[in-house]
Amino acid sequence: MDNYIDKLPGFVDTIKSIEETIITNIVLMGQIPAPTFKEKRRANIFMERLAEFQVDECTTDGYRNPIGIIKGTSESKPPIFVVAHLDTVFSKDIDHYYSIQEKSITGAGIMDNSVGVGVLVSLPEIFRKLGLRFESDIVLAGVIQSLGKGNLRGIRHLLKTWATPIRGAVCIEAAELGRLNYYADGMIRCEVDCNISPVDGWEHKFKPNAILVINEVINQILKLRLPQKPRSRVIIGKNSGGFKHGVIAYDATLGFEIQSNSDKMVKSIFNSIKDIIEGTSHEYEVDLKLKTLSNIHAARIKFNHPLVKSSVAVMKKLDLTPVSGPSESELSIFLSRKIPAVTLGITRGVNYHQQNASVEIEPISKGIAQIIGVIMAIDSGVCDEHLLD
Amino acid sequence: MNISWIKKNTFHYSEFTDLTRLVDEKQRKNLKISLCLPTLNEEKTIAKEILIMKSELMTRYPILDEIVVVDSGSTDNTRNIARGYGADVYKAADILPDLANFKGKGENLWKALYVTQGDIIVYLDADIKNIHHRFAYGLLGPLILFDNIKYVKAFYDRPIAIGKSKIRPTGGGRVTELLIRPLFSLYFPELTQILQPLSGEYAGHREIFENIPFPIGYGVETSMILDIYEKWGLDVFAQVDLDRRIHRNQDTRALGKMSFAILQTFIKRKKKLGMVDYKEKLYNEMIQYNLIKNEFEPDIYKIEGHERPPIIEIPEYREKFKRIS
Repeated sequence: MDNYIDKLPGFVDTIKSIEETIITNIVLMGQIPAPTFKEKRRANIFMERLAEFQVDECTTDGYRNPIGIIKGTSESKPPIFVVAHLDTVFSKDIDHYYSIQEKSITGAGIMDNSVGVGVLVSLPEIFRKLGLRFESDIVLAGVIQSLGKGNLRGIRHLLKTWATPIRGAVCIEAAELGRLNYYADGMIRCEVDCNISPVDGWEHKFKPNAILVINEVINQILKLRLPQKPRSRVIIGKNSGGFKHGVIAYDATLGFEIQSNSDKMVKSIFNSIKDIIEGTSHEYEVDLKLKTLSNIHAARIKFNHPLVKSSVAVMKKLDLTPVSGPSESELSIFLSRKIPAVTLGITRGVNYHQQNASVEIEPISKGIAQIIGVIMAIDSGVCDEHLLD
Repeated sequence: MNISWIKKNTFHYSEFTDLTRLVDEKQRKNLKISLCLPTLNEEKTIAKEILIMKSELMTRYPILDEIVVVDSGSTDNTRNIARGYGADVYKAADILPDLANFKGKGENLWKALYVTQGDIIVYLDADIKNIHHRFAYGLLGPLILFDNIKYVKAFYDRPIAIGKSKIRPTGGGRVTELLIRPLFSLYFPELTQILQPLSGEYAGHREIFENIPFPIGYGVETSMILDIYEKWGLDVFAQVDLDRRIHRNQDTRALGKMSFAILQTFIKRKKKLGMVDYKEKLYNEMIQYNLIKNEFEPDIYKIEGHERPPIIEIPEYREKFKRIS
């Protein structure tokens, strides 16, 4: 293992020598709008670029996740998956054209997840440049329908229908360099819709205001006593409603996530919030609907799992300090299917989910070297004999 | 009027996506190709253009031999950024410094002929937000593959960027439709087949560019078409659909100035060809009015209409490229 670890600092310089191609891929991929459920154009370009870089196979699965396969030298070793989600939170009429400065790239979706996707399609060329061949097939998957209401459908389908065992996986995110995610919290993502009929009904002495009703729901959620162990929280993430300053709001929406490292606790908090919503609906005589958008089970590999230990060693060799936290992304689907996996970040940036998000160019080569180090670790067998708990 | 040209010489960039074939033909014909980007304060877009072209058409497919930026004297970081991303960068004023100094896109294109090495030169505007290497290989395809074609012009479906971040799907080409097309229809109906004569992206053989004059300002695209048409005829032209081009929108006043310069160029060409004989002097000032404190104030913009002669007439050029005038 030390053998490849020692090569990693040298990899950084080689990767830097084809930085133009990597940035070109980031830009060409990222400039194609790909809001969740509308990733087709980006998926097509993803395939085109992979084909141009001459992967051995280039196809889509039954769910239209685009996939490229680089054949390994071994007939018997299971494949290693490298994945990045294709979709973004931005609608297609938002300006997706990127600006490149001396040290940075700026534009909508660059941090979530154009850098990840661009690096993914660059990997065949990077492997070639580094002279790397792997025992396992390397499956490069740009998964669709990941974010928000997408509910990780792309990766769920890909893994559900993949016929053979999977040796291990690396999930790529643009930011932040140094992240090392190896566990996923249990999570339920919900939306509450409040709709009030604009026509007066006999039951309302005073017309209720949808925004104020949602506000009451928020206040009651905030009153919930959440345990520190199992670690649990409710994140109020989205809120919208009304249409004019001087008119009572007839509709309002609240989006939130319940997160905990215990599935049981997630369920229990969910039930409490459901009670809050039913109670508020009854007391205010309004229509409150609770919708579950996404549900992920808590799953993890331990810190002393060889994949995590190898990832830490790779990062330290590249002078990176690993920072760990839960991740509710493709990682959770791998882990819930007992496939050892980690999520890694490629570079640093600012304005994460804003249209003027910006990433640093300089760290990208190191971020990629780290990903390659972890792929090499998996290929050397660190995931082969350690089943997940 | 010969209208078969539009069928024969109009292409879509997708006909030239086999870049290996272009590389092979280029090598077989022993051609050198230069990409020239004329700039003035383009720090927001220049890096992306250089980087994508370099990656795709130099590193991966050796189609371009050099990328040259000729700058009109940007006050922003354009030159540093361009140099940082590997282009050869020149200030227009530093090229052939003994000649009188002018400022304008045409001046940059003309001077680029002196500093570039290529047998074929591709000119791309430096403000293309959706730059893609098709902008270069699309223009180069007909020049590399077909010996009779010497000059290729781009045309597009051109959305205009509006506001901060929204894009609307149609628009652009106002000067073309309101000025150039009526003029061409009146005097050179064959040329109406060129769908976007003012597009800023074109490529051609050096032997064409070195033998025509270059207006220093806006008139350069019009003059190029008229002069090449006059000397070599329409059959050396081709046009390529490059799909979409996202560019900055210009206000009507700016388009007015552009139209003035184009008309100047057009009239000059017609006089030269003996097609018209103006008895009276033409003025060189574009006058527009502003309402300031209830008074109409003229805004006078001088457009001299200077032109550079065919560069083959410049001794330094002849010496450098071993040409005979």
